[in-house]
Amino acid sequence: MSLILLFLDELKGFAKSKVMIVLWFGLPILSFLIQFINPAELEGMPISFLVSLVVSSIGGTLSVIMLSTSIVNEKNRHVYELFLVRPVRRSSILIAKYLAVYLCLVIAISISLTVGLIFDAFTGDLIENYLDITFESLITGVSSMSITCSIGIFIGVLISSVPVAAILSVYLGSQLSSIIILPTFFIPDLNTELLALTLGISLTIIMMGMNILLFNRKQF
Amino acid sequence: MEKEICIEFRNVSKSYKELLALDNISFSIQKGDIFGYIGPNGAGKTTTIKILVGLIKNYQGKVYIYGKDIAKNNQDMHKLIGYHPQEANFQEWRTVDHAFKTFGRLSELDSKRLESRIQDILKLTNLSDVRYKKIAYLSGGMFQKLRLGQALLHEPEILVLDEPLSGLDPSSRFQFKEIIKKLAKSGITILFSSHILSDVQDIANQIGILNKGKIMKIGSPEELQSSFHIGNIIEIIVAKNTPLCEDLAELSEVEFIKKPDEFKQVIHLKSDINLDLSISKILNRVMECNCKIRHFNLVKPSLEDVYLKYVGGETN
Repeated sequence: MSLILLFLDELKGFAKSKVMIVLWFGLPILSFLIQFINPAELEGMPISFLVSLVVSSIGGTLSVIMLSTSIVNEKNRHVYELFLVRPVRRSSILIAKYLAVYLCLVIAISISLTVGLIFDAFTGDLIENYLDITFESLITGVSSMSITCSIGIFIGVLISSVPVAAILSVYLGSQLSSIIILPTFFIPDLNTELLALTLGISLTIIMMGMNILLFNRKQF
Repeated sequence: MEKEICIEFRNVSKSYKELLALDNISFSIQKGDIFGYIGPNGAGKTTTIKILVGLIKNYQGKVYIYGKDIAKNNQDMHKLIGYHPQEANFQEWRTVDHAFKTFGRLSELDSKRLESRIQDILKLTNLSDVRYKKIAYLSGGMFQKLRLGQALLHEPEILVLDEPLSGLDPSSRFQFKEIIKKLAKSGITILFSSHILSDVQDIANQIGILNKGKIMKIGSPEELQSSFHIGNIIEIIVAKNTPLCEDLAELSEVEFIKKPDEFKQVIHLKSDINLDLSISKILNRVMECNCKIRHFNLVKPSLEDVYLKYVGGETN
């Protein structure tokens, strides 16, 4: 019960603090800007494919930073005390945060991609070959974002300084986004989508379990 | 008739690595009491409070609420206790209304009861005008009231207030004290910590003095004051530009007299005398001297004297 309440509360927080607007409009705008700033380099590349590349490269960093800094900030301001003196599980606070940030990012990606696909359909750039790579890139991006979200929580729980958490997030966010595709470099015949999904789900569960253990031991 | 024991700490100790924050403390609070918990910074007040509200779980000893060990009945305890933290903040994007709704729902109040409780609390705390205002724009006094309000949402039987009056201006402090007194009249048991002695004396009917993790003294303000013997001292102040009575030193009951200024005498009486007879004798002698008395008072020890005795001058 408290998990659903906290999840909806987090979403409301994102909406009220304008995080959602920045994300949902920012990502598609960024993709279009890249397309129009570098038209020569990206010639022939559908915007929907470009969106999937942008998501894969910055989605992970965004999710780590959003989660780590908000948790550190709330910890330092003793925000959780007011929750924990009520019948609220500590794990619910972390899971609600994870789900809210992940959902916000997935929606941002969906909006960007839909806009990109519509744009490509109008301009005639919608090429079947690119659609497959776009899909593959998206699955990888969304899966790695799930892992980076849980790493964001890990940093947030462990670190007590916002700048340090932000710097670590930038360092780790972009690096860890690529972890998910590492095995494909060594084993060429691997199904990339399936591998990304499997690694994404299993590593997220392991990380979240560790985060909850650490958070339960934390003294407020 | 002895009242029911509401809160009991039995041999509770808590360490933070090398630092012993609470050293085997034991005390109890009766139902309906307003218990003022005083001590210098770092004495262990907040640690005691955080153990009681369930934020600190790793401690030695037992804490009981209505005879139940809080470590074993954590979920039930949440319903009984309302907590006003010293430092805790709200997320800044929330409005007062939104904060009350979130914390009310998390306290498992249904929509109908929650709305009626919000109305009651807005009225009690005078926050109705700022119901839809963002928390980030509230004044310090309003913010403290919001902290109090969220603690009262689920109608707790026990209210735990950690430094509720710190940082408030005199008028907000007065309002806050009135609210606490009103709540106490409704039967809520209140434990509040403070280092402002006058506030504790105004509100509390029981006081516990804590220093370096140890309970130094517990009792009603009167008991604490009477436990501290300063001797029999009478203070006399006369009208300006009129003389003091110089003959008092001749009285056999008088040990010595101090004159802090030209219109004031502090008369220290001997310890083996009949106080009532001595007071009337002194009063008669002063009248005979034709002194224009402005103030005649048997000096009692203040709570500050008691506090300083037990904490050794470590005031804030």
